[in-house]
Amino acid sequence: MSGSTSLAARWFEQQGWKPFKFQREVWQAVRQGVSGLLHATTGSGKTYAVWLAALNCYAAPAKASPRDAGAALAATANGKPARKRAPPAPALTVLWITPMRALAADTERALNAPLAGMGIPWSVGVRTGDTSSTQRARQAQRLPTALITTPESLSLMLTRPDADGLFGDLRLVVVDEWHELIGNKRGVQLQLALARLRHWRPGLVVWGLSATLGNLAYALEVLVPQGGGRLVQGKMAKDLVIDTLLPPSLERFPWAGHLGLRMLPLVVEQLEGTGTALVFTNTRSQCELWFQALLDARPDWAGLIALHHGSLDRAVREWVEQALKAGQLKAVVCTSSLDLGVDFLPVERVLQIGSPKGVARLMQRAGRSGHAPGRPSRLTMVPTHSLELVESIAAQDAIAARQVEPRLSPCKPLDVLVQHLVTVALGGGFRPDLLRAEIAGCFAYRELTDPEWEWALAFVQHGGSSLGAYPDYHRAIPDQEGVWRVPSLQLARRHRMSVGTIVSDASMALKFWSKGGGGRSLGSVEESFIARLKPGDHLLFGGRLLELVRVHEMTAYVRPASGKKPAVPRWSGGRMPLSSELSDAIVARMDAAAHGHFDGPEMKLIQPLLEIQARWSALPTQTTLLAESLRSREGWHLFLYPYAGRNVHLGLASLLAWRIGQHRPHTFSIAVNDYGFELLSATEIDWQHSLGPDMFSAEQLLQDVIGSLNAGELAQRRFREIARISGLVFMGFPGAPKSTRQVQASSSLFYDVFRKYDPDNRLLTQAQQEVLRQELDVDRLGATLTRLQSRQLDLRVIQRPTPFAFPLMVERLRESLSSEKLGDRIARMVQELEQAAGAGAYAPEHDAALGARFDSAAPEELRVAGDGTRRRTRVRQPRARHGF
Amino acid sequence: MTGEFALDIAGTRLMLLAAKALYWPERQVMCVADVHFGKAAAYRALGQPVPHGTTTDNLARLDGLLAAYPCRQLVFLGDFLHARGARTAATMAMLHTWRQRHPTLVCTLVRGNHDLRAGDPPPELDIEIVDEPLLMGPLALRHIPAVHAGHHVIAGHEHPVFRLVGRGRQQVRLPCFHTIAHMTVLPSFGDFTGGHAVSAGSDSRIVVTDGNGVWPVPAALSAR
Repeated sequence: MSGSTSLAARWFEQQGWKPFKFQREVWQAVRQGVSGLLHATTGSGKTYAVWLAALNCYAAPAKASPRDAGAALAATANGKPARKRAPPAPALTVLWITPMRALAADTERALNAPLAGMGIPWSVGVRTGDTSSTQRARQAQRLPTALITTPESLSLMLTRPDADGLFGDLRLVVVDEWHELIGNKRGVQLQLALARLRHWRPGLVVWGLSATLGNLAYALEVLVPQGGGRLVQGKMAKDLVIDTLLPPSLERFPWAGHLGLRMLPLVVEQLEGTGTALVFTNTRSQCELWFQALLDARPDWAGLIALHHGSLDRAVREWVEQALKAGQLKAVVCTSSLDLGVDFLPVERVLQIGSPKGVARLMQRAGRSGHAPGRPSRLTMVPTHSLELVESIAAQDAIAARQVEPRLSPCKPLDVLVQHLVTVALGGGFRPDLLRAEIAGCFAYRELTDPEWEWALAFVQHGGSSLGAYPDYHRAIPDQEGVWRVPSLQLARRHRMSVGTIVSDASMALKFWSKGGGGRSLGSVEESFIARLKPGDHLLFGGRLLELVRVHEMTAYVRPASGKKPAVPRWSGGRMPLSSELSDAIVARMDAAAHGHFDGPEMKLIQPLLEIQARWSALPTQTTLLAESLRSREGWHLFLYPYAGRNVHLGLASLLAWRIGQHRPHTFSIAVNDYGFELLSATEIDWQHSLGPDMFSAEQLLQDVIGSLNAGELAQRRFREIARISGLVFMGFPGAPKSTRQVQASSSLFYDVFRKYDPDNRLLTQAQQEVLRQELDVDRLGATLTRLQSRQLDLRVIQRPTPFAFPLMVERLRESLSSEKLGDRIARMVQELEQAAGAGAYAPEHDAALGARFDSAAPEELRVAGDGTRRRTRVRQPRARHGF
Repeated sequence: MTGEFALDIAGTRLMLLAAKALYWPERQVMCVADVHFGKAAAYRALGQPVPHGTTTDNLARLDGLLAAYPCRQLVFLGDFLHARGARTAATMAMLHTWRQRHPTLVCTLVRGNHDLRAGDPPPELDIEIVDEPLLMGPLALRHIPAVHAGHHVIAGHEHPVFRLVGRGRQQVRLPCFHTIAHMTVLPSFGDFTGGHAVSAGSDSRIVVTDGNGVWPVPAALSAR
């Protein structure tokens, strides 16, 4: 093998390059058959580290002269069949897993690049959800030597009866962007698939590529759970230049409300003075709005700026990516859809609209710029409301201190396991005892108990653990030899259609209307959004103003429009909570402010607002827990500011509401943000007395949180995802969206029926546990409680909403939690209505919070509020925003 | 809280019951809409595990109604069976046993949209089957809510639910009876059926139920 070492080295020499130390380290490790994790940023040569290692070890130059082999391969790479006389490329040897389909084509180019020059007769192919059926058919005959694919497509390949033989020559699996997969169920699905591959190929080498995480050693262990993995440190990230775009002035009572558009002129100015820039937004709606606003401000930029988000048609996205690479664009307004992927060399600068909510994400986005030689990565944060100024400087503090978030693998999700059991039953069948050992080798399932395993087996066999629970329902059953298989072709087909763990809301295709059929496709929108529009209404999508013409069979037809204010589609989807690392840094800054230190331009600017907060109430510190109580026409409010991120706040708010409700029945409406939460009761409550130290006790935490869950609505929502992944509900075949609708419309119904008639079903238990772990973040909740206990409760009675309370008060997305009997609650609400009807005064308006109670606020704020309100009722933004 | 609400309409008195049924004392007629028998079984037949017990529960609630009010006739306002796949042996057997417990009761089904696909109940269930509307005195009993000249319509099909909004930003979603001008729509009786939110105009009356009690929503304020 020593001769082949020079393959890579020689090719580097040909290119006039010198291998980095980390590249040589990886080459050596792979030669020794060692698996590992390479920590490197994009654009640092990580692809060649692992790819050339593979070529070194597993490839031999073709017998023919390199030139001929190269020509034959070039033909293959073009998608045309190789010339007949060329010998077939070697069988599948390398699997390259990528988290995004969009990355596959670029990866294919990168992997093909060195082959010709090195005279290696390998073929490289792609198989993702986008792969055409003709290509699939060809791959069914023979897979390429290196296959680029996604976790979902890999699992799908495992369902083939000949899966074992398919991977007979597999030597290396590369997991690109492992940091994107480790923390979610897609990553668990991949863990299971890797265990399957290792079972067939015990010497299989696995390498992960990861950006910076707070827990790289852990990430390695998840990927290589059998031990012996090697962590290789890639080229260190270049210096990041991070700063904040400061607004010219600060409005102390903040209701600009409109996703930070007040910063538009400044952003335009910044874009004028720079080359190509990426403008990151946190949501797709925000992306649409900012793109439109930029165009309105600079009509001459039409054609020079573009937008990019996950709901746009693939062709549009690809066009934008190509134009960006070619340096034809001045700016692209985008979402996390451009977080990953190949380098866009021309990008000089990144603007981040709103808080990135995490340190790792901020670094990742910053790293998208400055790849041209000699340029630094530069990111400018554009705060969308005053308090984000503090987030902005705190994020810089955290990066300077290298406090980067860790990502943890989900813990034994049973829904993914159930899906995998059916996958394996299809892919040649399984014997439970052998498979049990294989699965226990996965990091996520290392603590799988026997009862859980038995339950999962029973679930695929007849739907549940209770004897013969669902006799009509069996997806895998043991045959005479005791090998579990899927009994019918129909079930097999159905399973193949549902492989995957990404759950989306029912979405509709959006197409241009043309006579006699649909015109060009624009992308997709959520059905719930379209359901709120009538034909003739306007909407903003893909940077165009459109008019809804009609909705027919899950397609919304539109035509170009002008004039009228449009609605902006709302896409539900991951709003990331503030990370612990970032929130610690924020509290440190608040603490400093409470002690009179306002260092840095951001803090100087926000000083007046914090001073009002201090005067009307107080500032949070590292030793106190700030709380505020307020009596308003709406009821009795409590505001609490633990600065622990929205998920923990939701858990904490539910917990407090539940514990208070144990003394006397109460119903609470809960609003949360990343800084704190609000509890609102319609009946009188004495917060001073209710907030005893026992309220923050970590004792009986789990029990009380579960109690609060049952009184609330959270578990029901989580159930939908679990039901879908485990195959409990079926999303429907492509082209049969009606069934999707039927099942989706009734997932809460399913939940109720299960709760009532099969309460021991473990998927319900899992829904509950996932809410505990993910939505409420119960571990962090426990840690937060412990921390809060050591702090002094600082409860202030306030006369009017403070700058901190205001955004919570106007938050419209609310949870509710009740310990009252439903009948009592209805009776009270009806009685309130009766009384109000008698006085002729009260009407339950949406924005009662914005009404007359703000008499103490300045008049211009009211005016802006009115505007924002009017807009929101049409626009349906995910939440009200608190602005400058 | 009370379990019934009296609605004086078309010169007669109708009782809206917390059990999501309408009782007409004058004729001793009980009306229920949208039972969707066998829906869970139909889902199971398609490979979706839904727990058992919904049919038993539906029948037990019917028994409860028949015991609490003197009834000569029980009228199903459409969607008796959910789908063709609902006609499983087990479901039919349960229905049969139930029917034998009430030999003197006259049962009538006003065909609804689901019944057209699911087919009529088998003759041994002894259910009289008619197309809508079924005229009875001042009332027109039907499945689809559509006005009928000269009669007050009692219908189903919509599965109406109402979002009750209160102080402190509270809200509850509840099945409801919905009366507009010359029509009263019943909530769905079936246990495994969803709901469709209704908003009421100034001329309509909403009566919500949680299964134990009924509450009329104050007229002027039910409009939102």
